[in-house]
Amino acid sequence: MAGLAACFGSGAMTSSIQEFDDAEVFFVIGSNTTEQHPMIGARIMEAVREKNAQLIVADPREIKLAKLASHHLKQKMGSDVALLNGLMHIILNQGWEAREFIEQRTENFDALKDVVSSYTPERVAEITGVDKSALRKVAEIYAKAPRAMLVYAMGITQHIAGTDNVKSCANLAMLTGHIGYPSTGVNPLRGQNNVQGACDMGALPNVYSGYQPVSDPKIRQGFEKAWGVDSLSDHAGLTLTEMIDAALSGDIKALYIMGENPVVSDPDARHVVRALRRLDFLVVQDIFLTETARLAHVVLPASSFAEKMGTFTNTERRVQLSRQALPPLEGTLPDWKIICELSSRCGYAMGYKSPVEVLDEINKVTPSYGGITYDRLRDSWGLSWPCPDEDHPGTPYLHKDKFARGLGFFDPRDYIPPAEPPDELYPFTLITGRVGFQFHTGTMTRKTSVLNREAPGSVLAINPTDARRLKLTEGSTVAVESRRGELHLPVHITTDLPETVVFGTFHYSEQNINDLTINAVDPVAKIPEFSCAVSIRRIS
Amino acid sequence: MKRLRKENVSPFLNEMNKEETVLCPQWIDKRDLMLIPLGDGEYTGDIGKTTISAKTVLFPQTEEILFFKSDAISKIIDSSKTLVFGIRPCEMKAIQFVDRFMTRNNFRDPNYFARRENVTTVVVACHEPPSATCFCSDAGGMPYLEEGYDVQLFDAGDHYLALAGSKAGKTILAGEYFEKGDTDDTVQLLAIKENALASQKNGPGTKRAIEVLRDGDPGQGFWETLAGRCINCGGCVYVCPTCTCFNVYDLPFDGGHVRRRSWDACLYAGFSRETSGHNPRPTEGSRLARRHAHKLKYDVINFHESGCIGCGRCSDACPVGLGAIEIIQELNNL
Repeated sequence: MAGLAACFGSGAMTSSIQEFDDAEVFFVIGSNTTEQHPMIGARIMEAVREKNAQLIVADPREIKLAKLASHHLKQKMGSDVALLNGLMHIILNQGWEAREFIEQRTENFDALKDVVSSYTPERVAEITGVDKSALRKVAEIYAKAPRAMLVYAMGITQHIAGTDNVKSCANLAMLTGHIGYPSTGVNPLRGQNNVQGACDMGALPNVYSGYQPVSDPKIRQGFEKAWGVDSLSDHAGLTLTEMIDAALSGDIKALYIMGENPVVSDPDARHVVRALRRLDFLVVQDIFLTETARLAHVVLPASSFAEKMGTFTNTERRVQLSRQALPPLEGTLPDWKIICELSSRCGYAMGYKSPVEVLDEINKVTPSYGGITYDRLRDSWGLSWPCPDEDHPGTPYLHKDKFARGLGFFDPRDYIPPAEPPDELYPFTLITGRVGFQFHTGTMTRKTSVLNREAPGSVLAINPTDARRLKLTEGSTVAVESRRGELHLPVHITTDLPETVVFGTFHYSEQNINDLTINAVDPVAKIPEFSCAVSIRRIS
Repeated sequence: MKRLRKENVSPFLNEMNKEETVLCPQWIDKRDLMLIPLGDGEYTGDIGKTTISAKTVLFPQTEEILFFKSDAISKIIDSSKTLVFGIRPCEMKAIQFVDRFMTRNNFRDPNYFARRENVTTVVVACHEPPSATCFCSDAGGMPYLEEGYDVQLFDAGDHYLALAGSKAGKTILAGEYFEKGDTDDTVQLLAIKENALASQKNGPGTKRAIEVLRDGDPGQGFWETLAGRCINCGGCVYVCPTCTCFNVYDLPFDGGHVRRRSWDACLYAGFSRETSGHNPRPTEGSRLARRHAHKLKYDVINFHESGCIGCGRCSDACPVGLGAIEIIQELNNL
């Protein structure tokens, strides 16, 4: 998000989902779209199959979309910046850039030219493992397409160079003018139904709702007035990964965690447990007793989505109403009520009578949500922000005619190698991800028998050549070891992975792949890299 | 034959609702037409095609069938009286399919038949296809029924012509809201049926698809290519009026356990995976092939009719365009 905000002035998916139907080229990098965003994946497949759209996939794994792609670039782990710079180098060399767009709508172009000039196809092939002719072909297809969409997900962001990766994606789209028009754009696919909404509402350390910075005195005064308080803090808080470190060092004494299970979902899980145990006071609010909740001094039982009313904001910035289907289970309260009760008891009375009253306030204090009122949501499929007033129809795609920040900013980045490349002791690269039948740490899906039956346990996916060398057959158990921990897992042998790369999922707390992963973070967004070096030995 | 004036449908249903549960099609959020108890909403006259078929009344998505505690077992049987209004002829035909399944191997499913025997069915014949994805004639069916219903209504403008197909149906037709018709009604009924048949559009080619599968296997490549689109959501199975597969599991309850059964889906890998881990249908393509061979090949061999009744619900529900219509079209293209 930080990366896109720096280049465009807004850190959200730029297009609407419907626009996928009319794109002529898709460049999908670091997203297993069919597995994790199946409805968007289906649209991509449909456009490729029915409308002859061209699909380019850049992913070390042979994901389902790769099988449908005209070009599949299997870049080495963590080499995305080099790959993207390499494409831009070719585009500039061939004169395929969108000169008019660059001139009228962007700034800092010379700096970009400067940086990418050293990313010759030879050098890029060396860093990424992608051959020169494929690079050239892909650069040509993407640059020359009338309508090309760039799509990415956690495969781009979860790196120590995550922000650099995102900025490089933004650079490529601006260089070719593939942004600000229908069926173009830079499209980060959000991993949860309301992660966009949580960010929009200021569940970030440095902003109020609608990305209004806490450091801006005018904005701060506005919120002080709206809430009838004075002296709101002007300091940005800590990010999730920083909080865990601060808990371990004793700088944070108490933590209140809502609907998150960091003991399973965060890298270097044992480090997380150590940190949480050091706290004087841990409160966890969740619908089930998660692994994290088990460490808490106080657990606040919350109601599930079906037992409350409210809104979700999906990946295309669309705010949709979610209606209550069931009464809350006895002894639970919807999250908003818990927060109101807690705040009132702490001395600041929150007297909202319903989620509608909360939305009324959101409308008042959040310019981009100004016109997204309850009355409009009730009888519609929702509205995409920005939607500043009640007559505004919402915004399907961003940056039309003008970027949110004015001019688009080229912020060229240099390649940095991953935090923990494979070596003699740990010769494999472990990447982690998800399967479609489980959601994150399995808090909900692992309690659903059919879903659990589909994906019952942790397996380590490995390439057949590696498997042969280690004398493994399907289902053999291996010990996977990193510098942080060891796990025993059955293997699944698949050609979907290149040699020396193995894949595991983080859904299973009893065999938590995050015991192995690395907590090295991006310096800007503080998002962890996860991927790390491991060794593998056969046990049976 | 009797007549039921359209303005009398609501009073008739309200009357019936005093004695038993009445289910009729009602809109949820103006988006889904569902069979919902009268009283939770209102009958609006929209009959259309419900999102989920009437099968769910007799064979619910999840039901409790047993409670057991130490060595005591008690059956849970639901035999409440229910009237279902607005069933379409194809759905009624599908229920006859389910009847056959629930009596297979000389076993009569007690939970299913407890409901079946206490449910009165009011079928509304289709004077035209209620949705663009309907293809009942193509699949060997008809827009009205010759038998197998309690009451069948035919749309005659401001009123319905009503036929009784059972003893229960005759009792209903003896009620106050059903009026005597005139002698022309028999002629009009024939005309309605003829118009209904004439309103049927060209379907995807079910007959030809059945022949293709009868004459040989289209091959794994064919199915795997199609399955490349499938996201294994199981939605097609859940909306299918003739799908009957279920899973049985126990949950702790009140110091003992309750045994439930829930719909299952043959498209899930876990459905056919064996305890050893071996899966006889290991790929998405092999499961897709099995699903459609069941409907279009084995049902034809065993029962001499297509297991797909042409309601088109799977094609409505599938997010990736891979319902029966599309599969039948692909088989026709071979």
